[in-house]
Amino acid sequence: MAEVRISNLSKAFGETVAVDDVTMSVPNGAFVTLLGPTGAGKTSILRLIAGLEKPDQGDVVIGGRSVVNETPAQRNVAMVFQQYSLYPHLSVRDNLAFPLKSPLLKTPTVEIERKVAEVAEVLRISHKLNNKATALSGGEMQRVSIGRALVRDPSIYLMDEPLSSLDAKLRSDLRIELKRVQANLGATLLYVTHDQIEAMTMATHVGVLDHGKLVQFGPPREIYESPVNLYVAGRLGQPRINVLPADMFAGAPTGAKTIGLRPENISQGEGKSSKVKRVEHLGDQIRLHLKLDGHDIITLSESRDTFEPGDMVAIQPRNPLFFDASGARIA
Amino acid sequence: MSDTPIDRVAKATPPSVASKIRGLSDRTIAWLFVAPSIFLLLAVNIFPLIWTINLSFTNYKANRPNREVDFIGLRNYERILTDSDIWLTMQATAHFLFWTIFLQVLIGFALAWLINRKFKGNDLWTTLIVLPMMLSPAVVGNFWTFLYQPQIGLFNYAVSFLTGIDPSSFEMIGDVALAPWAIVIVDTWMWTPFVMLICLAGLRSIPDYIYEAAEIDRASKWRQFWTITVPMVLPFLMLAVLFRGIENFKMFDLVVQLTGGGPGSITELTSINLKREAFEKWRTGYASAYAIILFVTVFGLASIYVKALNKVKER
Repeated sequence: MAEVRISNLSKAFGETVAVDDVTMSVPNGAFVTLLGPTGAGKTSILRLIAGLEKPDQGDVVIGGRSVVNETPAQRNVAMVFQQYSLYPHLSVRDNLAFPLKSPLLKTPTVEIERKVAEVAEVLRISHKLNNKATALSGGEMQRVSIGRALVRDPSIYLMDEPLSSLDAKLRSDLRIELKRVQANLGATLLYVTHDQIEAMTMATHVGVLDHGKLVQFGPPREIYESPVNLYVAGRLGQPRINVLPADMFAGAPTGAKTIGLRPENISQGEGKSSKVKRVEHLGDQIRLHLKLDGHDIITLSESRDTFEPGDMVAIQPRNPLFFDASGARIA
Repeated sequence: MSDTPIDRVAKATPPSVASKIRGLSDRTIAWLFVAPSIFLLLAVNIFPLIWTINLSFTNYKANRPNREVDFIGLRNYERILTDSDIWLTMQATAHFLFWTIFLQVLIGFALAWLINRKFKGNDLWTTLIVLPMMLSPAVVGNFWTFLYQPQIGLFNYAVSFLTGIDPSSFEMIGDVALAPWAIVIVDTWMWTPFVMLICLAGLRSIPDYIYEAAEIDRASKWRQFWTITVPMVLPFLMLAVLFRGIENFKMFDLVVQLTGGGPGSITELTSINLKREAFEKWRTGYASAYAIILFVTVFGLASIYVKALNKVKER
């Protein structure tokens, strides 16, 4: 495992700028998540680090060594692709053993057997080892492709939305599994996702990308609690942060254009009176859809009292975030 | 009222027809649709086959329809299997089959592999390479006789240009040693594009990300070729071999135009030989037995091969 640093990395595909002057570092043993919508440049950054693409400018440094002119093989990175990129004509066992059979490694057969068995155990696919790669369910295929990365001892694991094609149950199981494996191995892992829950629950650091630019980088809590701008504030949190005109409530600092209120940052009982439009009972929480001066607001009910559509609730902000006209946060 | 296409058809059917159809079961209607095909198949395939088997046990001659026909048992088969000329014909066919398939697979795969690299104008190259395949075999046979001309032929000229051998010193078609190769070269020229197309389909079916995964897994280009490209194209390649094998086993037109089976009978492939027996010597019973032997051979080989193909596909 090694520290991976990228500096001033840029890459354009024709007219589209996929990665725009990104500088960041993945500390040794860290679980870093890149978060952003489709087209934000997440996958491109992974491919640049892996060596599947050449950067237009900038540098990739793995373990203190610039690798920008090296092939993927020389860089010694492991990658899990978004599609199940299994070798369809090979068995699960041979798929897992494939990276170990590289002539560069000269791994003894016994050692290969042992590692494959070990990884299969961790990912709970031991009983499928003799199956053909194509005779698996989607979840199993993705576990095999994660396993193919785990059998190796690379500088860094790169994962490109490995869980996005799985069903919800399997996704949450594998999320925990992956975090556990990473912690046990002390692995350096760069993980790309558009799912904020994956980003929040697994990562030690989160990088938020917007149109190829790295907007904010830090621990997940920091990103959630003090986003640098409206875009980052909107990426995290479910239900999404409420964005309202700053003058709606008293106390806005000068220059503030909008006020950002996370659902839990709205206190009920005092303040402005708003109308309940819809009530959602989610079991562990009750969501209230409110209407105030023509703006929609979503918040969580603070009491177990049942509201009915049409009821009036008084609300006021608690620890709000303020943003200026450009969207940058000012308080 | 529903308005699916089938309902519209039902409504448009004249009452007189509808009343006739109404009484029929689905099974009967299904049979009505299949019947013409079955009839055609019986008339042009199954019946002639049975008739041929029947004739193969007789001394029937089609040019003497009024002569009495004797049932002679297995004597036709006996004579064919012990005839040394027929074994020579079989050898010529085997030589032709082996080398055409070998060269076509080798060159066809190599061409497909090259064309599959992403470069400018590869569509144009594909079209150019595929051209020979679109010509009529008779035409190809005919114009290659000109190319093989010792004095004016382009082929001899090209060979002499490359090797320095005097172009008029050798005759591809007239020479006993060269003629078997002359037909192999022409067939390869004509049908390599076909193998290439099938291989290309195979190569294009391998997604890029598999190579990317292999690249990340630190497999060399050489290893990628042998562990990914070859196994994944193999089922396609085997299909191409099957097609070419069957086609070339019954090769007739191209070789007849090119060498007419000569010099002597050195390029007389089984189907040409069979045609001579049946329609020049008019030994119909004998030729029927010959045809049955060929049929069983091809059928047997093809079944074994298809089994192997399925095994490769399942792997």
